[in-house]
Amino acid sequence: MKKVSARLKDIAVYLPDTVLGNDELAKLYPEWPAEKILEKTGISERRIASEHQTAGDMAYEAARNLFAQGQVAAQDVDFIILCTQAPDYVLPTTACVLQDRLGISRQAGALDINLGCSGFVYGLSMAKGLIETGAARCILLLTADTYSKYIHPLDKSVRTLFGDASAATAVVASEDAEEAIGPFVFGTDGAGAKNLIVEAGMYRLPKSCDTSTEQTDDSGNVRSRENLYMNGAEVMAFSLKEVPKAADTLLLKAGKSKEDIDFFVLHQANKFMLEALRKKLKVPEEKLPITMDDCGNTVSSTIPMALFKLIHQGRLIRGQRLMLVGFGVGYSWAACLLNF
Amino acid sequence: MSEFYEGMAEIFEVDASKISSEFELHSGEAAWDSLAIVSTIALADDCFGVMLEGKALGECKTIADIENLIAAAKKG
Repeated sequence: MKKVSARLKDIAVYLPDTVLGNDELAKLYPEWPAEKILEKTGISERRIASEHQTAGDMAYEAARNLFAQGQVAAQDVDFIILCTQAPDYVLPTTACVLQDRLGISRQAGALDINLGCSGFVYGLSMAKGLIETGAARCILLLTADTYSKYIHPLDKSVRTLFGDASAATAVVASEDAEEAIGPFVFGTDGAGAKNLIVEAGMYRLPKSCDTSTEQTDDSGNVRSRENLYMNGAEVMAFSLKEVPKAADTLLLKAGKSKEDIDFFVLHQANKFMLEALRKKLKVPEEKLPITMDDCGNTVSSTIPMALFKLIHQGRLIRGQRLMLVGFGVGYSWAACLLNF
Repeated sequence: MSEFYEGMAEIFEVDASKISSEFELHSGEAAWDSLAIVSTIALADDCFGVMLEGKALGECKTIADIENLIAAAKKG
């Protein structure tokens, strides 16, 4: 078999129409004026999926945008990977539903992966594996989430940060011998599961009157066990501890140094976390983009969203080398190099 | 003025001259909320290379209490 390598061919994104701005949030949280929210989070607005719009619907829109860009057509796709934590159904797999909706071949493979902020990098690793073993040639990697549906309106600790979005990335087989995606490093620490969680609603803790009871925490945030909960302090400590380590391990594995990297595209969690990580990684501001101003933390879509923006700003061009690092819910993290 | 005190002043959005060991975290000028705690974790890591616990930080009343946590963490 002739050796093929996987490469990223094109990226498209989709943002839902409804805008949630800082002024609206500041009215609900009087102790956090709109300017303070912007300064700390780096976010001026988030987009919110409509009541009946699912992650599957948003993934569909991102895929349509990708096909409209003309680099990849629906009939080229022979494998769909959808990363989401808000699937359309308990079963069947949302990626299967999307095969039909998008008019993709019945010979295509399709699966969902349940990961959050590390999901895009995991998706790339799976796409690479499928392509370089000859199992597929054109992967449609979709990331889509609707965390807004899990968030209590009066929980400022998460509502100020998260936004809904989706991205569609085409990873294709290329006859170039040079590796374009990889190497990878992964990490998991399930002991941190409780620090970023929607506890109730599945089988460990089914929804009940008890789980829907709202409680107010010490910081005045309201939520029930059916809502998203984040222990910001623990998640910050985890990220500061693991992300620089993962970056160093990856550079060592690749035999590269920080100077060889044009952009460090980190999961866009929030501005203060990215600035703390930038200091710790000791990389200059222009090499670690913060691109979440108009969309917030969109979970598994933040990295493709950042890549899309860098391309459209003319900052990211073919031939540049990037480090991608996704980290968060799980805890789960993954990093890779990408020769764009 | 130490880098740590300057950082604390930024977190509380007060003039750096106001920060001392006696500075009260729950005074009218300061908001010792989740965001301030998260920022302090990053600051202590940056200045001293130690990782503080959110829960322990939440129980601090003054800057001196935070400094005690840092000293304990340094001893490891």
